[in-house]
Amino acid sequence: MTLRLICTTAAVQRKNVGASGPEKYTEAFIKKQIEEFNLGKRHLANMMGEDPETFTQEDIDRAIAYLFPSGLFDKQARPLMKHPTEIFPEQRKIQWGEDGRPFHFLFYTGKQSYYSLMHETYEKLLSVQKHQDQLIAQDLPLQKDKRKNIYDILNRNLAGSRWLTKIELEEMLLEKVSDDDYSRFIKLLQKLVALPCADIEEEYIQKFSKEVPVQLQKVDIEPLQHDERGVAFSTGEGKRKTARATAVVYDNGTGKITVNGVDILHYFPVLQDREQLLFPFQFLGRIGKHDMVCTVSGGGRSAQAGAIRLASAKALRSFVTEKEVEFMRQAGLLTVDPRVKERKKPGQEGPRRKFTWKKR
Amino acid sequence: RALGYSPASLVPCRIMPVRWNRYNPSYLEPEVKKESYQKPLEELTEEEREHMELKAVRPIKAAPPSLSSSVFSDPMISKFTNMMMKSGNKVLARSLMSQTLEAIKRKQLEKYHKAPENEKETIECNPYVIFHQALKNCQPIIGLSNITKGGKTYQVPVPLTDNRKRFLAMKWLITECRENKHRRTLMPDKLSQELLLAFKNEGPVIKKKHVLHKMAEANRAYAHFRWW
Repeated sequence: MTLRLICTTAAVQRKNVGASGPEKYTEAFIKKQIEEFNLGKRHLANMMGEDPETFTQEDIDRAIAYLFPSGLFDKQARPLMKHPTEIFPEQRKIQWGEDGRPFHFLFYTGKQSYYSLMHETYEKLLSVQKHQDQLIAQDLPLQKDKRKNIYDILNRNLAGSRWLTKIELEEMLLEKVSDDDYSRFIKLLQKLVALPCADIEEEYIQKFSKEVPVQLQKVDIEPLQHDERGVAFSTGEGKRKTARATAVVYDNGTGKITVNGVDILHYFPVLQDREQLLFPFQFLGRIGKHDMVCTVSGGGRSAQAGAIRLASAKALRSFVTEKEVEFMRQAGLLTVDPRVKERKKPGQEGPRRKFTWKKR
Repeated sequence: RALGYSPASLVPCRIMPVRWNRYNPSYLEPEVKKESYQKPLEELTEEEREHMELKAVRPIKAAPPSLSSSVFSDPMISKFTNMMMKSGNKVLARSLMSQTLEAIKRKQLEKYHKAPENEKETIECNPYVIFHQALKNCQPIIGLSNITKGGKTYQVPVPLTDNRKRFLAMKWLITECRENKHRRTLMPDKLSQELLLAFKNEGPVIKKKHVLHKMAEANRAYAHFRWW
């Protein structure tokens, strides 16, 4: 005979409505998956004849590709065997206990992890300010080594590192973060970093910043070549839209520029194009010192001028010090302009223009 | 949604360029002026130093064809030329602009030679200076924006950004010259006339600016409708 509960609390009878939604994996389930994965890994190593102790993920991938060859186009549709933490996304465990009381004191705000993070960061800010006040009260200098601090702060915000992106923050907090919330958090972090005594909270700040690998490629500058008369020259190639140009810049010149065998005054009647050709020379201050012979094909009037400008700037790199090459790069003379004509799309008259809208 | 570091206070009169998104967002704007590269390290402020460090590591966009490091290229003049341009005819727009500047110079020189000795220093002959000063005089300080509340649309006084002020000044000048002129007068003549009047704080464009200011003053009561 079953016992029926007559007088029960509402909490016990209430169904766990909050657990529904995307399927929640219980801890026991994940543990079982991990055990099965490890066991399967050892079996696989045995099958392949390799050592089960030193069987890495790459070895697993190779073994699976060998044992289950699949001709499917989509890589994600092929058979795969990965650690369960990569397959099953990390989810929040249920936030309340058996009696229905939530564990976290900020649960009813809806975004408990975000607000607790903001509270923590603000506490750190207050502690740094308090430390600063103490130092001021004792008449001590605020930063022991001023130089180091500036470069630290610089490195944080500029070249070396960046803040976490919104998606990374969402992964860290395991809950959705809106754009406004994210920008508020970043502003608070920047405020914290800007204080002089922020070194105290270094480790806390480092949790939210990531290293950015330097994106620039080292370009080799070719050495000068000499022709029969002994005059130094160097070549460069440039392109813009559909135009392709090659330029040969000679030293000890009078500033004469020839394009496709024709003087620039005849080839480029428009002032703007001639300005563009002279731009690299004017920037380096070497207007009357070099001669240039170029060939150009394709594109329109302005595209050819841009192509020759890029070619001459590349050629001038060999004549000039490294510092000036860096200045040229920062002036935008050495970058290939990626803008090209946008394609026309179906259902529209042009790349952006839509057909005339008719009501009926 | 600019969450990155954008030092807008660096160059006081920098015109925000309008570019497509063919470039990766990490690309920075090029700095074309020669003088900014010859400044010694000590004279730079904190922000400028940080900007320099950033530029040393990030890739830089290519300089547009309308910009060059020569003394004659002025970003404000190129912006005005682009706004005057019709159907992509940059050659015509540029020639009109140069004719306008020439006309300004001629008129000012005429006045200079006719003026008595003591007034000769007060007459400004540099057309670039006149152009910049005239634009500055035409810029409104406050603008109006339409806000619909409770079914009715109100004209609410609203602060304007630098770019918007410049744009409005240039737009007013160009529309004024295109519409309110005699059929036979050419654009350079009319434009030079308007610029000289604006330089002295007279003329229809300045009047339009004052009208806008008066409207904003009159609608002061609705200023609290603005929520940004």
